[in-house]
Amino acid sequence: MLQFVIAGLVLGGIYAIASAGLVITYTSSGILNFAFGAMAFFIARFYYYLHTQESWSILAAAAVAILIAAPALGIVLYAVLFRYLKLSSPLTKVVATIGLSVALPALATIIFGTGAIQQAPGLAPEPVKVFHFIGVPVTLDQIIVYASVVVIVVAGALVLKYSDVGLKVRAMVDSTAMTDLSGTNPTAISIGVWAVSTFLAGLTGVLAAPIIGLDPINFTLLIAASFAAVIAAKLRNLPVAVGVGLLMGVATSLIQRYLPPASAWTTEIIDAVPFIVITIVLVYNLVRRGRVGETEAWGGALDRAITPQGESKLAASTSTVVETASLNFFGRYAGPLVLVALAVALPLVLGGYWVGLTAQAFAFGVIFLSWTLVTGEGGMLWLCQITFAGVGALTTSQFAGHLGWPVLASVAVGGFVALGLGALIGFLSIRLGDLYVALVTLTFGLLIENLVFTLPRFVNQGLGLTLNRPSFASSDISYSYLCLVAFVIVSLFIVNLRRSTTGLALNAARWSQAGARTSGISVVQMKVLAGATAAFIAGIGGGLLAVAQTTVSPSSFATFAGIVWFAALVTIGIRSTAAALVAALAFVMLPAISQAYLPTWTGNLLPVIFGLGAISAAKYPDGVLAEQSRRLRHLLQRVAPDALADEHFAEEVEAGVVDTEAVGMAPEVAGQLS
Amino acid sequence: MMTTATDAGTIDATADQDPVALAADDITVHFGGLTALSGVSLEVRRGNIVGLVGPNGAGKSTLLAVLSGLLSPDAGKVLLRGDDVTDVSARHRATRGLARTFQQPELFMGLTVREHLVLAYRARVVPHRMWRDMLDPRALFRTSPGEVEKVDGLLELLHLTHVAKAPVAALPLGVIRLVEVGRALASQPRVLLLDEPLSGLDLHGSENLISVFREIVDRSDDGLALVIVEHDVAAVLALSDMVVVLDFGERIAVGTPDKVRSDAAVRAAYLGDVEPPQRTATGQTAAPAVPGSRPEVGGA
Repeated sequence: MLQFVIAGLVLGGIYAIASAGLVITYTSSGILNFAFGAMAFFIARFYYYLHTQESWSILAAAAVAILIAAPALGIVLYAVLFRYLKLSSPLTKVVATIGLSVALPALATIIFGTGAIQQAPGLAPEPVKVFHFIGVPVTLDQIIVYASVVVIVVAGALVLKYSDVGLKVRAMVDSTAMTDLSGTNPTAISIGVWAVSTFLAGLTGVLAAPIIGLDPINFTLLIAASFAAVIAAKLRNLPVAVGVGLLMGVATSLIQRYLPPASAWTTEIIDAVPFIVITIVLVYNLVRRGRVGETEAWGGALDRAITPQGESKLAASTSTVVETASLNFFGRYAGPLVLVALAVALPLVLGGYWVGLTAQAFAFGVIFLSWTLVTGEGGMLWLCQITFAGVGALTTSQFAGHLGWPVLASVAVGGFVALGLGALIGFLSIRLGDLYVALVTLTFGLLIENLVFTLPRFVNQGLGLTLNRPSFASSDISYSYLCLVAFVIVSLFIVNLRRSTTGLALNAARWSQAGARTSGISVVQMKVLAGATAAFIAGIGGGLLAVAQTTVSPSSFATFAGIVWFAALVTIGIRSTAAALVAALAFVMLPAISQAYLPTWTGNLLPVIFGLGAISAAKYPDGVLAEQSRRLRHLLQRVAPDALADEHFAEEVEAGVVDTEAVGMAPEVAGQLS
Repeated sequence: MMTTATDAGTIDATADQDPVALAADDITVHFGGLTALSGVSLEVRRGNIVGLVGPNGAGKSTLLAVLSGLLSPDAGKVLLRGDDVTDVSARHRATRGLARTFQQPELFMGLTVREHLVLAYRARVVPHRMWRDMLDPRALFRTSPGEVEKVDGLLELLHLTHVAKAPVAALPLGVIRLVEVGRALASQPRVLLLDEPLSGLDLHGSENLISVFREIVDRSDDGLALVIVEHDVAAVLALSDMVVVLDFGERIAVGTPDKVRSDAAVRAAYLGDVEPPQRTATGQTAAPAVPGSRPEVGGA
């Protein structure tokens, strides 16, 4: 048994270092770093490049990768990204790190070379020496992990508690604004914190590489598992995070001892350990009716006072709301109508293979609309829409394939199954706060991916399951139009919802929980409603996509792929239904164009572009499409000032009752109005 | 004795006749080692305006948070028209007729002024529409005569008609305060808690709003009661039927404005027991230049 405990402490040690890095970053910057795994992979891949590909010595490669490149990466990221996020909402910060998690692994592949590497060396020279500790064999790599955990925990605690730097960091955690006013430079502290955080990411990466290989997906899984410890630590408690991380490693190892080693279930249960921990913590919190309230938990009163109101700037910014109000019918709806007209023409203009892709793109559009609802309208970050799409696809295949139901009825059933799961996830997580929703949905996606999508019934020996299209829409063209009709119906539903009492209540829940609750609106109910409805939409979209492809392979609904989908949508625009269509077309068509007409390496460029696009959401929360539409409108307003303006709003501006400057409305728009 | 909203769009007010609209009994709240409220009791009778005053840190906003259900007390009870609502959530207190405004406005920045009032009205009177409307393609256009009358009347009363269609994100603070009051009144409350409703308003705006408060209470068929926390002590004393004074989390005085004005403990708490507040030409209370005095009130 001791052997299993000692072996478990290795994985636990890596969890502990990763959890420590995540907690330190969150407490000192308010950023829950979803890109921690991508950073770890990037540095580990750089170490492999230096040590294995360029034949540097272990010491030199480790020193350059972990002690120089990793902190430098943190400093660069702070300079170009994180310092602009100081006053952003927690969700905007998370989305920026999600963008980074998509861009960094693709960037590493472009810079250092292709592919996942199964065998990667650690910090111990090869062949790795084995020692015996009370009869238990321990490798030098394992000893390095133990030593790293001890050094980090002891040094971290001493520095934070007793040093001048630690005092300043703790002051900044309490209030960045007050620290600044007290004469301490918070920028210098932030740079230091980010350097330490990426150093820990780099160390995690290099230590983990011999165990999990150099595969970005494995790194994402590792960090998602570390989130279990972070959730147990309520995002802030360093000793608890380290302790739970170690315990998870030991528990995983002990399960290996007691479960039959040959069983497929054993592997799945081992993979599921962190997610079981998360579930236990969530249920415990729910029973205790605990709420962390992460938005309130970070920063002081002054910090909150200078932070824009509202939970998520990803949802409509105030300037967008005001600018939209300034437009007449033509100004608001001309763009989407033109876009739908183009979409109608697309299957007719394109031929053969490309028509099939438009059908898939329209189905993707439906899935993307689920984010338009839950994030754009509801202000919540759900990271498992791809899982709901997968559930929809698999349910469709079961009902249509095995039970012989009509295929569209089966798609509807898939939507309802996803709806049920969405309501359950929403109920479990929404009460705890928005960051937990992001964490829980990510975890749920990984859990379903590992436990359900791997069932032999769905995998079908790697062949997937086949589906037939409905008889009236069996051709690519007719099925494209069927998907387009579904897209338009769901879009109209969302447009109606926005202006209905439901939409008003959802808007209220997003902008002010206290205001909503004291007006008789249940914040949790409205958000669960939005989440469950979005899950239904994703389920329907998944079913339509499966029917478009005529096969369902569970592996195409991997959670990490869903994060790339999300990044693509955020790049184009999370709030508008038109943007969902453009994002879907871009997401499906661009890789196909790259594959057909461009050099191979451009395939890796797309995730980088989408990742950077998601990062830019911090500055342009409405996305590329809205930004370009805005520029076009401003141009039109110069040519024909009255063409797009709402008369009533213009009167209010003229009367001085609307303060356009206060909400940052573009001067040219305000100027034209007045 | 709970009252209910009917489908016809009116609130059934006949069910309860308790003369006390809202009561707090022996409320104690601790924040860690700090006692924010210590055994504070309060009674608000129907149709009354109760002023809640006290220096900074006295516990006024904490008491409002307890009354509205946003904060659970460590001890004590809250009664809404005779019903013990201590363990009832803020949302359910709102559906029973308790509305409030906030010191830092808590508006819904994506909505227009009118939408704020419409939403508050529907949340109280036709709450099922919050669920059903998303599936109803006519939702956008469905309004009841009662809703239109109520919302239009409030917009007019608060001089908000001309900004009804403006998104609140574009409005100055003074107007935003009025929108918050409008939203609270649109929910047809039995008790309205006002947390510094006059701050940010100019003198003219303050006078208008004070007259609105008096008018809505006097016009109410259902005995609407107000609890007002305000910086402007003179305004509170002029407006209120009863005044409660808090200091360091304890109730130090309660009574009519005249009684409170002459209360020795109040004078000591506010003025260091030196001299009474001076009236300025504008009717505002001016702080006497006394060392150690605490002329500012509110913002607890």
